[in-house]
Amino acid sequence: MIQVEALTKLYGEFVAVNALSFSIQAGEVLGLVGPNGAGKTTTLRCLAGIIPPTRGRIHVVGHDLALSPIAAKQQLAFFPDEPRLFDYLTVWQHLNFVARIYQVANWEHLATPLLEELEIADKRDQLPGELSRGMKQKLAIACGLLHSPRVIYFDEPLTGLDPLGIRRMKDSILKRARAGAAIIISSHLLHLLEEVCSHFLILKGGQKVIHGTLGEIRLQFSEQSGAANLEEVFFRATIEPPIPPPIVSETPHT
Amino acid sequence: MISALCYLQYHSVRNRLLARFRRLKQPKYLAGAVVGGVYFYFYFFRWMFAGRGRHSLAAGAATPLDPQLYELLGAFLLFVVVLLAWVLPHQRAALAFTEAEVAFLFPAPITRRGLIQFKLLRSQAGIFLTTVLLAFLTNRFGIGGKMVIHLAGWWLMLSLLNLHFLGSSFALTALMDRGLAHWKRRLGVLAVVLAGVGVVVAWAVRALPPLTADRLVDLDAILDYARQVLVSGPLPYLLYPFRLVVRPYLAANPLDFLVALGPVLLLLVAHYWWVMRADVAFEEGSVEAARKLAEKVAALRSGKWSGGGRKIKSKRAPFALASIGPRPVALLWKNLLGAGQAFTLRLWITLAAIGVGVSFGLHGASAESSWRLVAGSIAGMMGIMLLMMGPQIIRQDFRQDLPQSDLLKVYPLRGWQVALGEILAPAVILTGVQWLLLLVAAGGFWRAGIDLSSALLLAMTVGAAILLPMFNVISLLIPNAAVLLFPGWFQTGKDAPQGIEATGQRLIFALGQLLALVVALVPAGGVFVGILLLFKFWFANYAGSLVLAVPIAAAAATVVLTAEAGLGIMLLGWLFERLDISAEPAA
Repeated sequence: MIQVEALTKLYGEFVAVNALSFSIQAGEVLGLVGPNGAGKTTTLRCLAGIIPPTRGRIHVVGHDLALSPIAAKQQLAFFPDEPRLFDYLTVWQHLNFVARIYQVANWEHLATPLLEELEIADKRDQLPGELSRGMKQKLAIACGLLHSPRVIYFDEPLTGLDPLGIRRMKDSILKRARAGAAIIISSHLLHLLEEVCSHFLILKGGQKVIHGTLGEIRLQFSEQSGAANLEEVFFRATIEPPIPPPIVSETPHT
Repeated sequence: MISALCYLQYHSVRNRLLARFRRLKQPKYLAGAVVGGVYFYFYFFRWMFAGRGRHSLAAGAATPLDPQLYELLGAFLLFVVVLLAWVLPHQRAALAFTEAEVAFLFPAPITRRGLIQFKLLRSQAGIFLTTVLLAFLTNRFGIGGKMVIHLAGWWLMLSLLNLHFLGSSFALTALMDRGLAHWKRRLGVLAVVLAGVGVVVAWAVRALPPLTADRLVDLDAILDYARQVLVSGPLPYLLYPFRLVVRPYLAANPLDFLVALGPVLLLLVAHYWWVMRADVAFEEGSVEAARKLAEKVAALRSGKWSGGGRKIKSKRAPFALASIGPRPVALLWKNLLGAGQAFTLRLWITLAAIGVGVSFGLHGASAESSWRLVAGSIAGMMGIMLLMMGPQIIRQDFRQDLPQSDLLKVYPLRGWQVALGEILAPAVILTGVQWLLLLVAAGGFWRAGIDLSSALLLAMTVGAAILLPMFNVISLLIPNAAVLLFPGWFQTGKDAPQGIEATGQRLIFALGQLLALVVALVPAGGVFVGILLLFKFWFANYAGSLVLAVPIAAAAATVVLTAEAGLGIMLLGWLFERLDISAEPAA
């Protein structure tokens, strides 16, 4: 569903992403993790077609994003960390607009249950300025899901959601994956990723440190303890070896 | 403690300036700074110290009475400003802090006095900037020379006003806390003012020759009367404190300035003491003010030019948008919805009032003109103005959607489709309004006794109507291309170009836009003139043939404009696809 070959993004001389390659199959959920500045958001923006990569190729559902952007983008949805909405459009008008952009026939029949599922059906005539942050995020999600994308990217999807919203979001991600969508989630919330992701890609300094299932990356980074969780694996993968502790004098303090 | 606050202020200003200087490494910002610098030099700086009577129109025409008149006029204006500060406010006192300052300073062990001192210190940055700007303006357009005196004079006035505003806001809050209603306070202030006005009127009636009906139509007589009221009688005494404040600015020489300085310094000290001793809780109001400021800044950063102040209302869609059809129409639909926010009842009332006012003016200026001709002339003038300024006024295109470029890029649309969709709304709005004005103008000129046959008027109207849509698209392409080429120049909020650099960028942009428009219109203009010449060559009755020639020439020119517009939209789409707003440096 998603195939990335030698993706490289430069900003002047700064290498944001360096020769990144990986692929995701239908039904897989990939957790994209890494410290701040690792290149996660840049990678997602390249994969969504927002910024062109400097080098490399990206295929979405078999369509080359550079050569067939329309066919590729028709299949994907991108949810940035901050919901992007148009101030002047009501909830329902947002969906009407998106339906035309993605050419969704009978969109009303899809939009109504979608709004109900996201619990914003009663807000259909309200403007984004009248919605809470969580509601705005739900509206952005409704807009992104209206055209039934087969590839979904989430950038920090849980920011601003309440505990119930977090639970619903996790369920929704898993539901889409079970329906055959390929999903990438970029987040610093490692416990969330551990719950919903089938695969992990750890980036550092724009480069791939490791890619695989939790079991596979555990094997590589937790030789001494096979039961290491994602957080421990993350630290071992991204942090330089710790400085050995100073030698403590054996002479007891008096 | 105040040293920590000084440290904060010093480093905030310093770092901001350094960031702006660093941005000058980029040619586009450097070019803006250079052009802006040249503009400011030729327009303001060279007048700074060059007054000395040479460029001073006002000084040259001075009479012995003028200094006193200026002083009283200045004092009167100052009085009005101060009066408004006592009448208008209806909120609690609030010191203008940012949200970060509220978060750091309010919980910190800093006294109220420390916070007020910090606020006063920080306001000096704005006062210095305003002082320099006002000194430039007054030296450029008013009394030349004496730049140092003017700088000092403006600084004294602004600093005193700043302290007075703060003091009055504290005093009003104290009155509010004691349960005094706003209307009672306003009534009290206005009663005092009315008492003063009564004294002046009583004196004028007794001491000055009456303003009889025949003198009321003589502007000079009215001005002379006003001058006498201002410079003699009780008014100069009533305005005495305000005269003291403007006196340093109007000092003729350094010695006069020093003499005038003493009383103003005393007033400054008295105001400082008043503000420091005021025991009023300003924290609550400041937190609210900081929140509003943060909202405004956030709105500006996300490209909302209104600064988030105006409440957006949901509007009915301009037309039903089917889910299947050309995708750019979705952007047209969305932007028309956005534009609907601007077309409020207030706007229509304002436009109607302007139209009626101008009509009366024009009709009065020429008694022979019929109302129909006046209406036609106004519509024609407005149409021409809209042709030139419309693309700058109606901005429901990339200029509005630049902050949403990430969202637009995810959509399954080619770059040219996005460009077309974005351009359509302002083009449709402009064309619609222009067609309406054209119709009114044609109706006004129709058989109105002007030297233009009805047939030719109709031909010109049809020709203009054919040309307008593509002309508008071409005009709109230029500012949109500029936004995509130089997104940094169109950033808003903290990262926006400011000061000299912004002025320079605007000048370059205006010049570039004019040049690009002229270049774009040359081929179409050539075709238009060529066809008219062909008709002249072929038809013996050239004047008669114009009825046919004008619409045909307009249609041919429109074909050329359409081809140019098509190319322009392709180029705009290509620019949009290459746009990466995140690569723009912040300042």
